Amino acid sequence: MPRTTTLECSGCPPLRALTFDSIGLIKVLEVPDKQRGVPQVVERWGDPESSKCVMAVSMIDRNSQPLLAVARKNNEIEVLSPVNGDIQTTISDASGLDVSSEENNIVGLHLFEKQNTELDSRYCTLLTCTTKGNASIRSIELADSSTESSCTDSPKTWNVCSGGNILCCKVDRHENFALFGGKGVELNIWDINNLTKIWNSKPPPKDNLGIFTPTWFTSAAFLMKDDHRKFVAGTNSHQVRLYDISAQRRPVLSFDFRETPIKALAEDIDGHSVYVGNGSGDMASFDIRTGKMLGGFSGKCSGSIKSIVRHPELPIIASCGLDCYLRLWDTKTRQLLSAVFLKQHVMHVLFDSKFDIKGVDSSLPSKGKTQTEILSEEVEELPLKRKKSSRNKEHTEDGSERKKKSKHSKERKKSEGRDGGEKIGSRDERRKSKLKKKDSRSIPEL
Amino acid sequence: MGVKRRKNDDSDVEESETASSKRKRTVATEKKDQLRPSMIKNKEKRSEVHTRLKHQKKLDKRAKAKARDAAVKKALELGEELPEKKVPRTIENTREFDETVCKPDDEELFAGNDADEFSSILHQQQTPKILITTCRFHSSRGPAFISELLSVIPNAHYYKRGTYDLKKIVEYAKNKDFTSVIVVHTNRREPDALLIIGVPNGPTAHFKLSKLVLRKDIKNHGTPTSHKPELVLNNFTTRLGSRIGRLIQSLFPQDPEFKGRRVVTFHNQRDFVFFRHHRYIFEKKEVKRAESKGKKDKGDKSDNVPEQKVIARLQVGLGSFLFSFYLPPPFKSSIDVDHCITYGYVPHYFPCLSNKWYSMWSVVQSILDNRNWPFRLLTSVILIRGYRGEIV
Repeated sequence: MPRTTTLECSGCPPLRALTFDSIGLIKVLEVPDKQRGVPQVVERWGDPESSKCVMAVSMIDRNSQPLLAVARKNNEIEVLSPVNGDIQTTISDASGLDVSSEENNIVGLHLFEKQNTELDSRYCTLLTCTTKGNASIRSIELADSSTESSCTDSPKTWNVCSGGNILCCKVDRHENFALFGGKGVELNIWDINNLTKIWNSKPPPKDNLGIFTPTWFTSAAFLMKDDHRKFVAGTNSHQVRLYDISAQRRPVLSFDFRETPIKALAEDIDGHSVYVGNGSGDMASFDIRTGKMLGGFSGKCSGSIKSIVRHPELPIIASCGLDCYLRLWDTKTRQLLSAVFLKQHVMHVLFDSKFDIKGVDSSLPSKGKTQTEILSEEVEELPLKRKKSSRNKEHTEDGSERKKKSKHSKERKKSEGRDGGEKIGSRDERRKSKLKKKDSRSIPEL
Repeated sequence: MGVKRRKNDDSDVEESETASSKRKRTVATEKKDQLRPSMIKNKEKRSEVHTRLKHQKKLDKRAKAKARDAAVKKALELGEELPEKKVPRTIENTREFDETVCKPDDEELFAGNDADEFSSILHQQQTPKILITTCRFHSSRGPAFISELLSVIPNAHYYKRGTYDLKKIVEYAKNKDFTSVIVVHTNRREPDALLIIGVPNGPTAHFKLSKLVLRKDIKNHGTPTSHKPELVLNNFTTRLGSRIGRLIQSLFPQDPEFKGRRVVTFHNQRDFVFFRHHRYIFEKKEVKRAESKGKKDKGDKSDNVPEQKVIARLQVGLGSFLFSFYLPPPFKSSIDVDHCITYGYVPHYFPCLSNKWYSMWSVVQSILDNRNWPFRLLTSVILIRGYRGEIV
């Protein structure tokens, strides 16, 4: 029967998201204005081609010179600017690795944020991992012309697994450890700095019928930002498992979610709730401390969920998948904020948290104006919120936001009542950071 | 009773006298409405009140229609705008706007289509080769259905299931260059599901099968020839629909033999896919042309061709819903549906199964009216966007 009632969506606050298609298109979605609205596709980068299907993405989400790396099905890695989509370098992976057949696609990709600052800003460091388990770390020079690219040193390569297929690859927040797992590959953790395997998981024992479920990890996520020891993994046998390196090699906690393979996992910034999406389009959030389901995300999700991403600041998660929709959800109420039809199978989604409300493109000449506008708005809004936000002012003054945020999340855990105030505080801070960013971003454009 | 009837008559006389009395009456009925007949316990009294109410309703309706007609007439005479015609609320026109419906000028859609698994077949770089197998146990109607399928789908090969795993079968099909695998599931000696698997890396679709009518169960059925059939896909308009449509399309060879006049129709309506299999026959049968028709046809090339009677001898065990029919250009005169095989997916809530003639006729008529053949050949597959009148 056709649907005869419309589903009401409340719209979302200003944000910017990037989606990656199965035919290699990158679409930029923005909610432009200050009131709640529906995200719209504002830009489309790339040409449609099936061999350019996006396999893995990674982004450095910072104010100055943000970078985005995209691994394609034809084993090409593109490094682009997430602001305007300019391709900075293209690396075809055949040079770095011995095997580059159809089956040996890149599944894991990570752009290092930390080492980049130590080196010259024109270099970026990449971790890649293919299905067969060939991992490599290399640094690349960002050339202005997209054709030339050069690896500065010979990439550090190593093999993660002897057999099986790697399906998930994650790097922890401090970028010291990498996590690999897949079909027939137990989860293992590598120290990236000296390339040693430091930990390997052990499959759970046979069940009471003596049946052993084969190892098949499909997704993984580090639970906390400042702790690499705890992580969550989803399996093809629809189990979600919590591992703790410091405790044991078997899962500390495991529970089932519905009947189809877990396809996507994302951690919340509060450090104890995870979002789980599976192959039949069900999504739910769990409290990982107890293994209890907090609630399901009910909507008209109808295709396998490929990726779930939590917005670093706003209480919003985005999910995308084979039903060609990008959906934005409220994490607290678990209600659908808005859904955007994107015409293709969406493989990945990312948030650009440093998005300027006024729009980056809204031109340099009127910069002074916009600044004053913003300031005036600040002045207007402040009297209402001053009381709450003043408490957090000390925390939020500094520039390096992320670490502060983890503090925030801790605080949030402690007291629910202060929650709203913090949010506002961080929002104020963001507005300031936007001002900063405007200056910094304007430079490469010029 | 007699007394009561007299009372009735009296009231009728009063009512029909003037408009003012009519108004009074409506007021009265409103009052009476509060006293529903079902509240009366005496059966005779109740039935009397009921008949009176019913009669009044009828009169009201008639008066309304009369007033409406009068208004239209008046408007016509005065040259004013006609009063708005009320459109009944149906499921179709209260449908929520579906943003996933593909637009014909959508470049991204074509790019996506070119990138999908079926494009090599649909661009005729690869000929479809189908492996048909069954579930583990099957009997009676299952094999009959499979033999029908073999006659419908060219280049289809039946393999016994044996005790093989489906994964093994797919592996085998991959090695033998099959393009799709169809698995017929049988439950209680009745085929109840179809599994269509694209090989090597295509999608898998599972269809429930209901209301299966085999060819031999149809009265006056014909026998299909071994020509490659034409394919009509109706209404696969949404993004998912186009994918399903392409999945079905990839089962058939893309170069139909028009000589065979075989048509295989997949019609999608409210997420049910109806399957029909026909042969059309062109019979010349002179018919006196209606005048309006003649006027319409004047500008056409086929003016010298006399209007011919359309005989739709549809011997369908079940309803045939809103066929969109394709006529190959060289003939373009009339259709005679010789026979059809029906494997329908008819949901239970369609009440009007007996309307088979009507729907068939209306479509045939509309085709005959549209003499300019607005169909475009898309690699010999004609996509007619069904009842909305858009044709792509």
